[in-house]
Amino acid sequence: MAIIETADLRKVFRSVKRRPGLGGAIAALFSREYEEKAAVDGITMSLEAGELVGYLGPNGAGKSTTIKMLTGILVPTSGSISVAGLVPHRQRLENAQNIGVVFGQRSQLYWDLPLRESFALLRSIYDVPRERFRENLDHFVEILALDEFMDTPVRQLSLGERMRGDFAAAMLHDPKIVYLDEPTIGLDVVAKEAIREFITQLNRERGTTIILTTHDLADIERLARRVILIDDGTIIFDGPISRLREEYGTHRTLVITLADSYEDVQIEGADVESREGNVVRLRFDRRRTSAEVLIRRALERYALSDIAIVEPDINSIVGRIYREGYTESAIGSPS
Amino acid sequence: MKRLKAMARAYREYWRINLLTTLEYRENFLMWFAFTIVYHATALAALWVVLTKFPSMNGWTFRDMAFLYGLWMLAHAVNNTFFSEVGSIPEHVHEGQFDRLLVRPLDTLFQLIATPGQIFPDELILAVAYFAVATWYSGVHVGALFVIFVPLITLGGALIDLGINLIVGTLAFWFVRVDALQWIVTQLEQEFTRYPVSIYSRSVRLLLTFAFPFAFMNYFPATFFLNKPENALALPPAVGLLTPLIGLAFVSVAYAFWRFGLNRYQGVGH
Amino acid sequence: MSVVLSRPRFRLEPYVEFAKVAMAREATYRFDVFTNIASVLVRVYILRTVWVALYAHNPAPSELPLHAIITYSTVAMLMSLVMDIDQTRILHDSLHDGSIVLDFTKPMRVPLYFIANGTGEVLFHAVLMIPALGLALFFVHIDVPSFGTLLVFLVSFLLGYGVGFCINFILNCTAFWTLEITAVQFIVTWITDLVGGELVPLVLFPAALQNVLVVLPFAAMFSTPLLIYVGHIPPAQYAGALGLQAFWLIALGAVSVVMWRLGVRRLVSQGG
Repeated sequence: MAIIETADLRKVFRSVKRRPGLGGAIAALFSREYEEKAAVDGITMSLEAGELVGYLGPNGAGKSTTIKMLTGILVPTSGSISVAGLVPHRQRLENAQNIGVVFGQRSQLYWDLPLRESFALLRSIYDVPRERFRENLDHFVEILALDEFMDTPVRQLSLGERMRGDFAAAMLHDPKIVYLDEPTIGLDVVAKEAIREFITQLNRERGTTIILTTHDLADIERLARRVILIDDGTIIFDGPISRLREEYGTHRTLVITLADSYEDVQIEGADVESREGNVVRLRFDRRRTSAEVLIRRALERYALSDIAIVEPDINSIVGRIYREGYTESAIGSPS
Repeated sequence: MKRLKAMARAYREYWRINLLTTLEYRENFLMWFAFTIVYHATALAALWVVLTKFPSMNGWTFRDMAFLYGLWMLAHAVNNTFFSEVGSIPEHVHEGQFDRLLVRPLDTLFQLIATPGQIFPDELILAVAYFAVATWYSGVHVGALFVIFVPLITLGGALIDLGINLIVGTLAFWFVRVDALQWIVTQLEQEFTRYPVSIYSRSVRLLLTFAFPFAFMNYFPATFFLNKPENALALPPAVGLLTPLIGLAFVSVAYAFWRFGLNRYQGVGH
Repeated sequence: MSVVLSRPRFRLEPYVEFAKVAMAREATYRFDVFTNIASVLVRVYILRTVWVALYAHNPAPSELPLHAIITYSTVAMLMSLVMDIDQTRILHDSLHDGSIVLDFTKPMRVPLYFIANGTGEVLFHAVLMIPALGLALFFVHIDVPSFGTLLVFLVSFLLGYGVGFCINFILNCTAFWTLEITAVQFIVTWITDLVGGELVPLVLFPAALQNVLVVLPFAAMFSTPLLIYVGHIPPAQYAGALGLQAFWLIALGAVSVVMWRLGVRRLVSQGG
């Protein structure tokens, strides 16, 4: 039984068409013209309990709109939506009890209060039984190392500290589903890794369903097993991350360091992507040319001091999809 | 000298842009204009209601009080229009924005005042218009003395107002939040200048004359121009013409306090 | 489609917590507390001086003898400690910075959260009235009415406070339409203070004006409770006076509910 299910979910925004100039402004007082934009244009997805899904898309693709509908903040224009058996915008209070939210850009903690009191207030809001609350709190304080600043007002915490506090806050009431929006934004490398570890643990140990929205594709690579890509309000990819790599990660890069000076570098089966001094990057389609063949050709023609093969990372794969769009057939031609 | 000239040019440019912006954001401007009008209108309306029922307050009629209010309004409007940045000193202190002013070879306060933010000139326009009406309404004789001294008195009064704001703003070097105090001081200033100072007890009169010279903003000049038989401290009526000097003196004291605070700010290293 | 709140069992506990937190937060602004009380005291002094001066040089009005008007003004200034607060500013602020979205992800009734927060703030300031009154008595004498009158006054004060609360709430709701109306809020406050009888008792207004002002909601906020206190409204008229206050409370309360619903509908269909 899927815990999150949407069918042909649509959200259309109506905005007043702005007409230029003073004349337009006055005309707008009398008659208003509207233009409609579908931020979400027919999204059908199904998530099982315990999944950890990455939800990706360029800015304006409809990600946050989808999340807002799932959390009950936004009312869909059409289509069906069901989260843990509830319709979020119709049963907001009950749905809220099932979910936890971490919005990286904005804290849900109470600014003036010490962290400890923020938690106490949340306990009261979510009606968490005191024993369970204590258990959870002790657990999260330990693994997130919150002990040092439990009595510090939230506004005095560093970004990393506050983010850890937000994670604890989201989990104190044992939500079935957690929405993470940019959870590692602005954090240093060490903090990012700690948060990622925490998320993995949550998913593994508690079976919490997690939807992760982020622009940091390293997060996705590290955490998500399944990826849903959205663009222009529709899903363009929904599947395991390995399939994403297979289908879109068709290109690799051969990096060679020349031992002598050569003016023109050309290797059959590959295109020169860039050249900086003696370091040449060559891009090739691994379905047409094998790395082994390329390396042999390179060795035959040039004296080399170093060779490397670079796998396409999620960043470049997704970046290409954003730029070039999704097509059913394999992504063939180099840009 | 060159820098001063550059600042003067920049200042003029600020005002040009200010006025243009005012015209562009018309609805916003109208809303704040309404704000200014209602602020003064309700004060005057309250005075009118009271003085309709009680025609004389220590010998002052509503016509007298209208003139009294007008003098204060002028000074207050000049301060609000040209020296309003002083009100944001607490903000600058807490955001640490003084550093970039301190590194420049010009007086910090001067720089602060010379770079105003968005100001609507509505209060000044209103004050001048109101003062003209109030002068006519109160029957004050408009002679050479009036024409020469009223602008000077306005300026002096504005300096007194500036001095008060500067003192309160300087407190921001010591206290985290002074916005409540700023608001209350403004309120109290309006209340104390609304009525003739002669109604208060002697100690308060002295306070309002020599400590926080609100009485010089409008009361003493008004007693002079309205030819009142006596003023609150039985001083010669011409004392009302001293406002410009009092203003300069008071703002100098305030400035000294400001420098004291600023030095401490630099020393402490916030 | 309007957002229908579901019907889980209602719990008062979290809202009480919100109010407590708000009270505690107000208490930390010690400097503000001091300046608020000081300002009330200074204004009480000024008003007393003004009335004494006026009553000395003019025939005293029959409606209010000097001691009554001084009592009136003093109690009015004490009331302003509570009435002048922008209780639902948090509604405006959380709409402004978008944090209201997070509030809606929690299992709480959001308007109650705002109301609880505002009530906590106000309760703290209400407590301040006691030391303020104590200090004021050092230089002002106020009449103390009978216990029964005092009770009716308190009821009237609460009703008037409720009316003011609704007006404040309605104004802050305009933030749903991203209207910036700070200036309007000030305007409403000043007009309220004047025609509500805080600055000048309505009984001193010209008769024609009085008849109009007395039935407005602003009078319900200040004039009615104050005139009950000083005895100008006799027991025979209590029911009528309180009834009018209750009317405004219900009417403005209904408008508040409508404003909130319309605002939320816009929020959940337009997005933040």
